[in-house]
Amino acid sequence: MHQKAAVILRFFRQQSGFVSGEQLSRELGISRTAVWKHISALRGAGYRVEAVPSRGYRLLSSPDTLAAEEISVQLNSGLIGTRLVNLATTTSTNFEAFRLAEEGAGEGTVVTAEEQSKGKGRLGRIWSSPPGANLYCSVILRPRIKPFEAPQLTFLSAVATARAIEQTTGLKPEIKWPNDVLIDGKKVAGLLNEMSAETDGINDGINFVILGIGVNLNMTADQFPGDLRHPATSLLIEGGAKISRARFTAFLLNELDRLYAGFLDHGFVQVRREWQERCNANGREVVVSNHGRDDIRGLFAGIDGDGALLLRHPDGTIERILSGDVRVL
Amino acid sequence: MDIKDLKVLIKMVTETDITEFEMDNSDEKVVIRRGPKTEYVAVAAPAPQAYAAPQQQAPSAVAAPAAAPAAEAPAETGETVNSPIVGTFYRAPAPDAAPYAEVGQVVEKGQVLCIVEAMKLMNEIEAEYRCKIVKICKENAQPVEFGDALFIVEKL
Repeated sequence: MHQKAAVILRFFRQQSGFVSGEQLSRELGISRTAVWKHISALRGAGYRVEAVPSRGYRLLSSPDTLAAEEISVQLNSGLIGTRLVNLATTTSTNFEAFRLAEEGAGEGTVVTAEEQSKGKGRLGRIWSSPPGANLYCSVILRPRIKPFEAPQLTFLSAVATARAIEQTTGLKPEIKWPNDVLIDGKKVAGLLNEMSAETDGINDGINFVILGIGVNLNMTADQFPGDLRHPATSLLIEGGAKISRARFTAFLLNELDRLYAGFLDHGFVQVRREWQERCNANGREVVVSNHGRDDIRGLFAGIDGDGALLLRHPDGTIERILSGDVRVL
Repeated sequence: MDIKDLKVLIKMVTETDITEFEMDNSDEKVVIRRGPKTEYVAVAAPAPQAYAAPQQQAPSAVAAPAAAPAAEAPAETGETVNSPIVGTFYRAPAPDAAPYAEVGQVVEKGQVLCIVEAMKLMNEIEAEYRCKIVKICKENAQPVEFGDALFIVEKL
């Protein structure tokens, strides 16, 4: 988008109502004909702009896009989203963010895509990613913590996603260990994180962590693949209303920004507390399954300081679980 | 004691908080030790003829390390590739995919050796230098502790 067009959009949003062509011409230092040309370009990009002689222009609606201009006007974060990269299509935003991070992209860079051809799930699973319907995004972080502390970040993005869902829909999401977000027991968001770290034993440290966040926003029932491992849903299906993807993304990044700042200042304690309040398994019996190992059954006893699931066996012993699929019985 | 019994024994011990288990009789000695850094099983068996029961064959002593996935191998020399986090060790990107690395394989600097997952944070462990894989110290999908040796490699 042309920079002047982006400025015009900002005026529309600051002054709900008509903005005169004369004012835009003056503020932007361009002719009224040039203003009109930018308005035409905005219309071409899907913005509905009303023009009334002697009153000026008014923005009626914006296209449902993840364009950086649409997200950034609603951002109030300090770090997350300082750079927004929106791709029409990509293999996976995690893959793209990983590549950018290796090239030196800064902390807080966010990669979004309208569509993913190879949306990633855990252990080679696929994350269904139809175009234009959902949010596929990956955030680059470069925290100065030890690699063994990095799994704690998993819980940050889960809590941020739950908060954003609550704020934009009023729905009450729950979190399944470690970071699936559910509504009414059905999966609405999946998160997958990746780390690049130095582990030579001398300079152990994190190069970067990629927080991958996929949220089913406006997906309709017929868009879900038939062979899902777990029941899934979207915010549109659950809430009955279409979600502005840019607005949702901005809310999510704002929450993630707050949680991350708090995490760096005060550690894991606060995130852990909120995560536990939002967890779907409190006091319940669960089964943990993991590829190549026997299912383990026990009572969910919270998470420890690393984020490991604590499973209480009938004899009272506690087992720590570090990976696996959890099902509440 | 045959492999099946040994497996049951290991499972019983690992499901409790017991960190050290020792069983000694005239025929054989079994030691299972667990801790944050090491988890290994050592089995010492006398000569095959010492077994009383006919179904207890000599292979138990040979096969024991196979039933003890984390068996320490102090005889192997070389550099170790250690786990930077507590997690689950995966040799392949997906259950049905080919492993990243096999014993005897030469891997280049930066090549992925395995994944260690903790709380859905996937950590691809890369070779820090060109090397040959001497030994893979963990079984696929096995839990690993921070600092555990995952591979023994020979620097090339």
